[in-house]
Amino acid sequence: MTALIKTTPVAYAQHEQKPAMGVHNGMEVALSFEGAAVEKTHKQVLGVTDVSCFAKFGIKGPKAADWLAKQGLKTPDEINSWVEGAPGTLVLRLGGSEFLVEDQIKGNACNGLSTFNQDKTAGAYQVARADAAFILGGSQALNLLSELCVMDLRDSALASNAVVMTQVAGISATLLRESLAGEQVYRIWCDVSYGPYMWEMLLEIAQELGGGAVGLTARFQ
Amino acid sequence: MSMRLPKQVGEWISRDKQIRFTFEGKEYTGYEGDTITSALLASGVKVLGRSFKYHRPRGVLSLANHDINALVTDGQDTNIRADVVKLTKGMTLKAVNTDGGVINDKSKYIDSISPLLPVGFYYKAFHKPAALFPFWEKVIRKAAGLGVVNFNYPRINKRKLNDFCDVLIIGAGPSGLSAALSAAANDLEVILVDENQHLGGSLTYDRAGNADTQQMLDELVAKVSASPNIKVYAAAYAAGYYQDHMVPVVTADGITKVRAKAVIVSTGVFEQPPVFHNNDLPGVMLGSAAQRMIHRYGVKPFNKGIVVTANAHGYRVALDLINAGVKVAAVVDMRAQGQKDEQVAELVRKGVKIYTGFCVYEATPVKGKLGMSGAVVCPYDESTANADVAKAVTIECDGIAMSAGWAPAAALLYQSGIGMGYNNDIQQFVPNRFPKGIFAAGRVNGVYSLEARLTDGARAASEVASFLGKKVAAVSVESHQGTSPSHPYPFVHHPKGKNFVDFDEDIQIKDFINAAKEGFDNIELMKRFTTVGMGPSQGKHSNMNAIRILAKIRNLPVEKIGTTTARPFFHPTPMGHLGGRSFHSHRLTSIHGWHKAAGAFFVDVGAWSRPAYYQKSGLSKLETIQQEAQAVRQSVGIIDGGTLGKIEVCGPDAAAFLERFYTGVYADQKVGHSRYVLLLDELGVVVDDGIATRLADEMFFLTISTSNAAAVYREMQRWLQIWQLNVGLVNVTGAYGLINVAGPNASKVLSKLVSVDVSEAAFPMGSAQTTEIKGVPVRIVRAAFVAKQAYEIYMPTGHALSIWKALLEAGQSEGIRPFGTDTQRLLRLELGHHMPGYDTDGLTNPFEVRAEKALHMEKPFFIGKRSLEIIAKKPLTKVLVPFTLAVDYKGEMPQDCNLVIEAGGIKGRVTSISYSPAAKRIVGLAYVAPHQSELGNVFDIRTDNGGIAKATVVKTPFFNA
Repeated sequence: MTALIKTTPVAYAQHEQKPAMGVHNGMEVALSFEGAAVEKTHKQVLGVTDVSCFAKFGIKGPKAADWLAKQGLKTPDEINSWVEGAPGTLVLRLGGSEFLVEDQIKGNACNGLSTFNQDKTAGAYQVARADAAFILGGSQALNLLSELCVMDLRDSALASNAVVMTQVAGISATLLRESLAGEQVYRIWCDVSYGPYMWEMLLEIAQELGGGAVGLTARFQ
Repeated sequence: MSMRLPKQVGEWISRDKQIRFTFEGKEYTGYEGDTITSALLASGVKVLGRSFKYHRPRGVLSLANHDINALVTDGQDTNIRADVVKLTKGMTLKAVNTDGGVINDKSKYIDSISPLLPVGFYYKAFHKPAALFPFWEKVIRKAAGLGVVNFNYPRINKRKLNDFCDVLIIGAGPSGLSAALSAAANDLEVILVDENQHLGGSLTYDRAGNADTQQMLDELVAKVSASPNIKVYAAAYAAGYYQDHMVPVVTADGITKVRAKAVIVSTGVFEQPPVFHNNDLPGVMLGSAAQRMIHRYGVKPFNKGIVVTANAHGYRVALDLINAGVKVAAVVDMRAQGQKDEQVAELVRKGVKIYTGFCVYEATPVKGKLGMSGAVVCPYDESTANADVAKAVTIECDGIAMSAGWAPAAALLYQSGIGMGYNNDIQQFVPNRFPKGIFAAGRVNGVYSLEARLTDGARAASEVASFLGKKVAAVSVESHQGTSPSHPYPFVHHPKGKNFVDFDEDIQIKDFINAAKEGFDNIELMKRFTTVGMGPSQGKHSNMNAIRILAKIRNLPVEKIGTTTARPFFHPTPMGHLGGRSFHSHRLTSIHGWHKAAGAFFVDVGAWSRPAYYQKSGLSKLETIQQEAQAVRQSVGIIDGGTLGKIEVCGPDAAAFLERFYTGVYADQKVGHSRYVLLLDELGVVVDDGIATRLADEMFFLTISTSNAAAVYREMQRWLQIWQLNVGLVNVTGAYGLINVAGPNASKVLSKLVSVDVSEAAFPMGSAQTTEIKGVPVRIVRAAFVAKQAYEIYMPTGHALSIWKALLEAGQSEGIRPFGTDTQRLLRLELGHHMPGYDTDGLTNPFEVRAEKALHMEKPFFIGKRSLEIIAKKPLTKVLVPFTLAVDYKGEMPQDCNLVIEAGGIKGRVTSISYSPAAKRIVGLAYVAPHQSELGNVFDIRTDNGGIAKATVVKTPFFNA
């Protein structure tokens, strides 16, 4: 097991905001930006949080669902939907036979999945995941998304368990909405290399709309 | 003299909020809610601008967003539409199309030479003598166009948003409001759009002398405001219709792309001017413009005037004028049968003289044509459009209100693919065939009375609800009753012309007649020759009249003439709106921050930003690159290759998939070894190359060039669908970082970090191994793209920076140095490797780059094989060869794309060239004719300045590697 600490893919774009960094799940990530009071306000209006540090596991192939089930994870029955596969762990069905498993702040299912052995698992292939991942919340979240995404993401159109694979700010992204401690938030994943760009775009608009960056600490307080 | 009226019922201005501004250097005052035009008119200013071509003085025409002669600039923005743009504090305004001011315009003389400048004159003149054309071109360009582009315009972000609804209703007049309320009552989500600051359409100005309709308007608007199902976009225009009911709605702040399940177009109609001599003088305006002036802005259009009409609406206008204190000297009705209704009777009771079967023959100008002093009215023959001047009557007046008919505001309907037919009862094109989900209501649908329009809105909403699967009662609307709202031919011939049809481009009746005589007698041709409808108002007040004229010229019914094509955008929209936020997505590797701190000069490679080289103080770019290259040749260098495309091909058919996809063989490839891959398209053209490493029996790891990664992955997915092999494709481009360590000391440096033996002997070319660096699992592949001894190290991208730093630290004693893509290109050139996309183009086949060894034609199939079999039978036309220039070459440095010349003809081109510090001479790759490709052959390269460099075909590598 390596002792090397990963750095969030968004770190380069966050440099100017001078966040207080800390390690979560083996990755250095922004814990706070402007202090609890400001970030609390941002959360209410429009807060953007980098959660790329959440552990992820990807798998695809005709036997992928079976294998996940054997590991004790619940999987969504429908394509492009998600469930809480285990306490604190999201399981997203990205297609007929592709899944993304992501531990939330207190989840730990991904550790158990690292036992995957491709040679012994016919019909399933591990998908290395290093997505940049974000939480977007606050009263203006939908306003922001209406500029970045052409999909109808209003509650009336976006089912509570729907996974949308779309374009956000012109790049491929995966999106869903969930309830986090009673607050409705949107989750966005994109290719790790687009992480800094996505952060810049989300933050630029968030700041225009009266919001801003929210660190991991404030997000989960 | 102030023309401001006492407070009007429903007016849009706030009289307690004064606004000061200047126009043409003079200070004026208006009220909040005024437009620029209404504030100027209230201050007694009648001349608002000069016409485009003849520089004639012009005032108000429509007050409805197409007063093109009243365009102003505030120094920053140009072509501000004074008739609709709200007045703001401190505006400093000037008319755009003048030379010396709107009153003393030096170009006003052009009006007097207008007979020399008929439409199309510029197509025929100035071509000869050719030598003078540049002079004329300069003159014409200076005269053409409106306003001056401000190249210092600040970047103002205009957001482009997305919105959604069940039904989008465009136009919030009576029918639109009614439709919105009915749709909302059926539980439909409604978006209601109107271009005006306030809802209501004609209810806000068409009063016929009393304010009874204001109560109805207030009630409708209150209901709309109270409805949770209705979202209103006011001061917003629907700029176009696109597939799947997508309509961009433009506001001052940006664009909202509305996607609806259904669309109701209730856009109403544009009032059309009757055409008579001097119908463009300041003071002559559309009847609806006069009404807007009175009821929206509390401004008296003129003091004493007449109304020229050809429908019932003109009588309503006359009553509004009288109610506003205007002395209406006469109503001139162009129709022989006139009008018989309550409004006429009321006017007669008020002592207004009605001239039935008369026309305005001409408006009499005051000095300088800065206004009008009277109107000459004559008996009118509708069949010939001629006036009987022998019975002319002159009426003293300072204004004329014109109401001769309407044209449907149907651009969005046309764009949606609707069918329109001409209805002779109302002399208007009306919809007769609707695409799915498109509906029309109100006057654009040919429904005119207020009651019928309200019902028609409800009818359209009911049809939408039914279309969307709701069970609702059908609503019916009676067809039009009474006289036609439009005159079929409201034109008056005049020997002096200047009877304007298109006020944007100063086009007169005779221009159409001349165009037809020249053969431009099709509406699309006539449009282009005369430029009718091609000005900023896009024909909103002129296209219908142009169609009527052409129909008369050709003696055809109007419906046989048809209409011109209505394209989005419906209304001129600022470029800044179209640009929006300017998203420039870019990809960065996880080492990007380090590169920047190290002085990297970045270049864009596809979506990626990559270091081209690391700038060193005091060194030129070339010197820097050559130093980086020397470090690799003499010791060791390191490059971030994380941008390279990386794909895992898994499954029982993985090898079979590669054998079909690439030109090589992979079935017998051993685990732990890599092979070159070459990808062709179906025409046999070189698309990409890379390396396939077999990590397990059923798993290959592929690299793809940076800029091709996405396209190649898409192709893989496409072919996999076609072939239906048992294969899983995993794109791990972003998930894995890649660092290439290259140079004679590469293995020495790497050995310090890995437990496996990576020495020359134990880890030969093509070897691949999975191991760890500092506990991080990595894949190491021995490749030779930039150096004989080079290792590609793949790791989870989150660890790339740590491993990069570890390698730099490990190589410190060897003088390890990072290098960029420009250096990489030099290094691979020194080894003689070509790069797809750099040394090949969209037509290059593998024979031309001498890649025969990569082709396994014995295979039953690979992409492009069939084409190669055909190509192989034909003689080659070009060959890529390595070349050098003489060691002592002192001439101009040839560049990429310089041509290979033989006997004055082009034989090929240079694809890559550089000075090689390792070879100590200039080396390169070039396409030459096959007969020039033999080893030792000398060929000519023509440099940028026309010099000739002698190049010799050589072997590669260019140096003793």
